[in-house]
Amino acid sequence: MDVALQETLKGLFQTKLNREMRLYLDTCARCGVCIEACHVYASRPEARYTAVGRAEVIRRLFRQYFKAEGGIAPWLGETIALDDPTLEKVYEAAYTCTGCRRCMTYCPFGIDTQMIQSIGKLLLIGADREPKLLTMLAVKDAATTEIYTETKADFETAMKNLEAEVIEKWRSEAGEKAIPVGAIGSDVLYVALAGKHSIIPAAAIMNAAQENWSLSYFEAVNFGAFVGNPEKTQEISARIIDEATRLGAREVAVCECGTAYRVLKHQIGSQPFEVISFVELIDRYLEAGRIRLRPGTLEGRVTYHDPCQMGRNGGVLEAPRRVLRHLGAEFVEMEPNRGDNWCCGGGGGLVAMGEKDFRMWSARVKADQVKATGASVVATACENCHAQLSDLNEHYELGTRVAFLSSLVADALAGRGRSHPGG
Amino acid sequence: MAGWIGYFIMVPMVYIAVAVFVIGILARVARLLASPKHPFPLRLYPVPSSARLCALKETFLMPQVRAHAPLFWVFLILFHIAFLFLFLGHLDLIPGIHLMPPDSVHMLGHGFIGLTVTLATFYFLLRRMRGTLREISVLGDYLLLLLLILLFLTGDTVSWANSWNPDGFVIGKVEFGDYLQSLLGFTFANPRDLLPGSHYIVVVLHVLLANLFLILFPFTKIMHTFFALPMNRLRRG
Repeated sequence: MDVALQETLKGLFQTKLNREMRLYLDTCARCGVCIEACHVYASRPEARYTAVGRAEVIRRLFRQYFKAEGGIAPWLGETIALDDPTLEKVYEAAYTCTGCRRCMTYCPFGIDTQMIQSIGKLLLIGADREPKLLTMLAVKDAATTEIYTETKADFETAMKNLEAEVIEKWRSEAGEKAIPVGAIGSDVLYVALAGKHSIIPAAAIMNAAQENWSLSYFEAVNFGAFVGNPEKTQEISARIIDEATRLGAREVAVCECGTAYRVLKHQIGSQPFEVISFVELIDRYLEAGRIRLRPGTLEGRVTYHDPCQMGRNGGVLEAPRRVLRHLGAEFVEMEPNRGDNWCCGGGGGLVAMGEKDFRMWSARVKADQVKATGASVVATACENCHAQLSDLNEHYELGTRVAFLSSLVADALAGRGRSHPGG
Repeated sequence: MAGWIGYFIMVPMVYIAVAVFVIGILARVARLLASPKHPFPLRLYPVPSSARLCALKETFLMPQVRAHAPLFWVFLILFHIAFLFLFLGHLDLIPGIHLMPPDSVHMLGHGFIGLTVTLATFYFLLRRMRGTLREISVLGDYLLLLLLILLFLTGDTVSWANSWNPDGFVIGKVEFGDYLQSLLGFTFANPRDLLPGSHYIVVVLHVLLANLFLILFPFTKIMHTFFALPMNRLRRG
């Protein structure tokens, strides 16, 4: 690695050294309490798959370049230099961590490993060694702002073609506009993922609730966050913020995507609209009687997988459980659950990157957890988790069905409940 | 020569160590405060009813450690409580401060506080010598623990083994009080004149190790003493 690149990378590292990051980098006692927290370590106990083991790669660089120790006694903290072998270690640390932050619940100081790994991801971008697929997807997402006037008509036509399927799910109340797009003054701007599975059930549910809603032109997923590019993360978020502001939406409902939810809910600062997850919106409809569900549509035992970015890192913990209870099936919790739940192993961009071999062996503990519930249906509220759990289901022959909460609810829609002022 | 070294350790180095300790900590805190804040909250969910109380509990009772490493937790709690009493025990040596009855020849805890921190630190060292924890440890971790063990062992010798002499304490609380008083009064008196006894060399070693501990404190992970609470506040929002 040449000196110029080293200097560039040091500069990038420096940009991440805010107050909290300095605390996280400086204070770890290497007590090892976090060792057992990671699902990868639980599936294959090697030091490199521990939270502290991953963080040490970054910390050793920190001590080398940003602490006096690096110049005086580098052997004390076993510092490492920015070179090609180190970047390989950085890559392994950053992309074997799903950013689930389960280790943060173990750490006596609450050190955020995901945040530490964001340094690694930024260094990899700076060295042009990040997963190119994630960058490509992030660039594509950000670019939709520029090309959306050209693609707007195509998008509206595509949505028009989906309307028949929405009406099939919810026959009686769909009206003429089953999937409204770009409607000014909507109460809810729904931000979906690419793919009708993210649009049709949601549209059916909102129509059943007689919601004044509109579909966003933009996809919710934020590949900028996965690849650890703060600028792209902001650019991708800005498309939705601008659209919601322009349309005067009161709320932005984020589809079943954990990272999209966490970024929009917790990382974009104060906005003139509220951000909620679509699961919370369903919960609100059910509690208010705006939708009713037919009992018996879901047979057997059902369990719920808390997506890390929605649950532990996003705060959506009880709404999914209330929704499942409305479905009337036998509900059984995974152990542990809620804030302590095991990560599915698909986060941090791993599902998008493929990495199936790693994803399967590293999530053995998750497969065991699902199997122990004896559930025939595993419900979840995150696209990545759904994909990963489906792969685990097949790989470990769990014999379950993995389902989005929205799909389960849409399939069980029974009829409109009490009318509401906006209906 | 030896006398000169002993004097340097017992007097000027103590002032240097305390100065580095205070200035180092202030510099670390100032640097943190001067750094920009993270742009979004880093809390975990569910959010407790009182984030402040929860952070306090997690800082001082360490429920995470109790849940996941119960034996380690026992030693950690013993260590931290004993360390606090150790600090108080040293305060008790200063003339005019009486945490023990004024006529007592014993230090606070009768030597058992020192024994507790020593045993706990031995456990921390042994624990770090096996398995995954060994792989994630760096040389500095072991050296710091060795420094603490030596510091505590010499302290044990001074405060406890000292009393095993058939004649009782060779260097008593009154003598240590005189020494501390001379430091606080900047008299620059020769400590050898204030601390009689053949094991004076152990006292010098103890002070040397304590000086090193104070000097290293602001630059090591021991700074968690000050940062554990704000970090737990970050986690709890």
